[in-house]
Amino acid sequence: MPPILEARDLTKRYRLGGEAVDALRGVSLSVEAGEFVAIMGPSGSGKSTLLQLLGGLDRPTSGEVVLEGATISQLSDEQATRLRRDRTGFVFQFFNLIPLLDVTENVGLPFTIAGHDPGNGDLAGRVRDAIGLVDLAAKQHHRPDQLSAGEQQRVAIARALVTRPALLFADEPTGNLDYTTGSEILDALWRSCVQRGQTIVLVTHDSKAAAYADRVCFVQDGRILEEIPLGRREDHSATPLISRLAQLGL
Amino acid sequence: MRGLSSFAWRSLRARRARTILTLTGIALGVGILFAALATNASIDRSVDRTVLEAIGRADLRIAAFQETGLSDATLTAVRDTPGVAQATGQIERRTYLQATLGSGPRPPVTLLAVDPSLDRTVHDRQGLPDLSSDGEVLVSEDLAREDGLAVGSTIVVQGAAADVTVTVRGVLPGNGPIFDGDGRAAVVTLQAARAAFGPIGLSRIDLTVGPGVTPAAVTQELERRLGLEPYLLFTPADLAASLRSSTADFQATTALIAAVTLFGGAFLIFNTLSMSVTELFREVGLLRAAGTTRRQVHRLVLTQAVTLGALGSAGGIVLGWLLAALMAGYVRSVAGVPVEAVEVPLAAVVLAIAIGVLVTVAAALEPAWRAGRISPIDALRSRPEQGPAIRARLRWLAVVFAVIAVAGLLAWPSRVGDPALVRALLVYGLLLACTIASPFVLGPLGRLAGLPFSVLLVPEERLARGALTRDRGRTALTVGALMVGVAMIVALAGVAQNARQAAAAWVTDVIPGDEILTAINPVPVDGATAVPEDLFVPGVVRVTPIATFAVAYQGVRLDAAATIGADMLADGRLRFVEGDRTAALTGLDAGGTILLPRSVAERLGLHLGSAMAFQGAGGKPIELRIAGIIERGLPGSSGEALVIGWPDASASLGVVGADFFAARFAPGETGAAARPRLEAAARQLALEPAPLDRVQGAVSSALGQVFGLFDALAVVAVIVAGLGIVNTLTMNVLERVREIGVLRAIGMTRRQVWRMVVVEAGVLGLVGAIIGCVVGLAAGFLMLGLVAAGGLGVAVQVPWLTLVLAAVFATAVAMLAAFQPARIASRISIVRAVQYE
Repeated sequence: MPPILEARDLTKRYRLGGEAVDALRGVSLSVEAGEFVAIMGPSGSGKSTLLQLLGGLDRPTSGEVVLEGATISQLSDEQATRLRRDRTGFVFQFFNLIPLLDVTENVGLPFTIAGHDPGNGDLAGRVRDAIGLVDLAAKQHHRPDQLSAGEQQRVAIARALVTRPALLFADEPTGNLDYTTGSEILDALWRSCVQRGQTIVLVTHDSKAAAYADRVCFVQDGRILEEIPLGRREDHSATPLISRLAQLGL
Repeated sequence: MRGLSSFAWRSLRARRARTILTLTGIALGVGILFAALATNASIDRSVDRTVLEAIGRADLRIAAFQETGLSDATLTAVRDTPGVAQATGQIERRTYLQATLGSGPRPPVTLLAVDPSLDRTVHDRQGLPDLSSDGEVLVSEDLAREDGLAVGSTIVVQGAAADVTVTVRGVLPGNGPIFDGDGRAAVVTLQAARAAFGPIGLSRIDLTVGPGVTPAAVTQELERRLGLEPYLLFTPADLAASLRSSTADFQATTALIAAVTLFGGAFLIFNTLSMSVTELFREVGLLRAAGTTRRQVHRLVLTQAVTLGALGSAGGIVLGWLLAALMAGYVRSVAGVPVEAVEVPLAAVVLAIAIGVLVTVAAALEPAWRAGRISPIDALRSRPEQGPAIRARLRWLAVVFAVIAVAGLLAWPSRVGDPALVRALLVYGLLLACTIASPFVLGPLGRLAGLPFSVLLVPEERLARGALTRDRGRTALTVGALMVGVAMIVALAGVAQNARQAAAAWVTDVIPGDEILTAINPVPVDGATAVPEDLFVPGVVRVTPIATFAVAYQGVRLDAAATIGADMLADGRLRFVEGDRTAALTGLDAGGTILLPRSVAERLGLHLGSAMAFQGAGGKPIELRIAGIIERGLPGSSGEALVIGWPDASASLGVVGADFFAARFAPGETGAAARPRLEAAARQLALEPAPLDRVQGAVSSALGQVFGLFDALAVVAVIVAGLGIVNTLTMNVLERVREIGVLRAIGMTRRQVWRMVVVEAGVLGLVGAIIGCVVGLAAGFLMLGLVAAGGLGVAVQVPWLTLVLAAVFATAVAMLAAFQPARIASRISIVRAVQYE
């Protein structure tokens, strides 16, 4: 079976005050369906840039990203947007909920944007399921400012999952949360992977978060330095990962 | 402080588009204000010049009350009065010039007949040509241009007695020495006028008083001596006041619109400076951390405001000068005041700039105060706050409204009376109250206004509507600015429609005919019955002779009209408020009674059955009993006329004949067959025919011209509000960068983002339009209250078409204003937006 996501020799070059800065220098990566992959690296290593290219939020300077057989760089802006809307979900560090909408409306937003009524029939059921998955059924009519930081991030996860995307991208989803709340978020992501077969690409600088993944790609200076297979584990201990990183001197 | 001032200037320069937008808003507001002030100054100067040209060095004017005019005996009595230095008589008549071969019928001409030898000693006509013989004529510039006349041309003046041929001796600048009228004036000698019209009396006598004698002393002496004929005495100041009163409402309305436009401008300034403060949040925090005091930060924001105010006001002066030239044209054609050159009075320049800067500074106070309160720690640590609470915004709004009201009172034309001021303040108060109340209806009204958009653009509409309630204070102010513009359009349209209908209804209510036949010279009417037989062509059932004249009642000049009561009774004209219709109209033909229009009865405090004593012909008093109060009187020269029967008018009040006839066609007769016959017969009798609907049309088009200008000014107010919308939406977009980035990330296309912002503007515009329409109707009724009190009986009508057009216009302006902010929003980079703090 072909991989669900494949990156081939990706480079990304920015211009900063007249100077060229290479954020990515030839990255290749593939993700299998149902896999939980973590991209890990220190600040400024290029991991977020890689996620943005993989998710079609930005375009590479060279190389290509193939998502479910579609080469994103060959799509128009409109086609790429539709692909994002229908086949991917995003969770960001800043929860980025729409403050005017309540939990149900925020979760149903991708349907609303697609021109469907998230309050009707099958879609309403999917919205309920997604809210249930993140344990927020009791707060479905609350607005973002009535929720804790962790609850807001769980709403963001539900919103990312509601369309049953082929791929879920999460960019430092626990970066703004305390340890306990962060663990709840990672548990929610892991549950979706295990129970629903959701493919997840997680970007983090935190080894505890990365330890939830089946495989960790360590990025430094715009390149993948090392791929560390961890396998699927009920126990999310970070010890094996930390030991391996220590062995590698990272 | 020099460094901080340059910081203020650089901050304005860095945001050029917004600065230009704000300057445009201020310039438009100040421009309308300056145009109003400059036009008023020009009107003043023109009135003074017109009075000077009309009355010259004369200290007093004695005007005749009756068609017969003042006799030579009266002129002699005036000359013999102690203290009178010089006295000269004039005759003024409306007539027609004989059409030249191949040209169509021309509008009438005002003929002024003077005594050339004496006229120069009383009137100031330096540098103007003189009449040296009875065969010469001086024509006004307009008449010469319209009829293609030049020195040496020959014209034939149509008269009641004979047609007189005269040669053009010179062309007089402007209207010539004619007080009002449409600029078509001709000056001939008294002899020439009497050759044309027969031995008619003088329309007026102008006199100068001798050295050391006061006009008041001469007035007393004249009142003692002149008992032969009724007359009215005017001083030049009286004449100027009467001319000025004709433009009072115009001046009041332009002042009100200027205030409304300034409000829109003030809102723009407030938003611009608010945006600056939000954007400079970190910079201001850094400045505060580096030791800048709150007062210095206040000064920084106020420096920006003063810079914007001064530059915008200067642009406004230029714009206002151009607008004033346009308005002068309207005053010329509508109010009959010959405004020629637009004045640029220094006082108006200073006042307009001062008000522009004052309003700008008032608008800047709240942002300045907010900037001063920025805590250095918060600024360096967190995102900017989302703006002040609604209450703070509304407090600011009340302050700005108050400043504009005070500025309005300063700029208020002094000769415009108290009722107009009260009306303007009421309208202004209503607008303020509604703007303050608008945040509380934003939710429900937003849902209502969103309905048309939600049919096609569901997600965009839902998100757009939500964005509007994010900062209710700001949305309320944007809606407020738009609302006042729309309200002015609707209010003016309401007043215009009602005034037009009232004027048209007035004519049909009181004129007992389908066709009006106007006489050049009064057509003698024998008693109450004799009408020229030739007018009774087949298809015509009734011809009613009507004369308009003036009567003196307790020293006040009142308009009066003589008519036949039986004709009014048969035709069903004149609506009675009090009194028995049949008895009153029958009694009119028997003599001894009078009908009073309601407005006159109320003004003079007279009731049914009261007696009114008038000074009659030959100084003999006549007493008439009020037999009925009617809703509207016949049209007089300056308002509604009392209705008097022919027997009293001709026997006791010196009326010698009918000024016009009202002819009624037979029932079922459309006039198509009878009208040409009647018109031919009328022309044979030197009568000018005009169908009643043409008379109504003329009234309506004159009103249309006035209100057309007001509408144009109100449209400017909406455009200023549109500039405010650009600001508000840009601010809404900038505050939502991250949110828009997320929407894009989860699948919203650029086009959808663009549409969302445009729909946001559409909903905003429609909310403003809905409130504006309701408030405009209320403001229109307030304005109408005064028109009704002024004499026009007005039945309130809703201008439906204008309501729809104003709503569509406001929504379109708002959506157009959204194009640039929508473009900014649709181009937001997702990657940067989601990382945006």
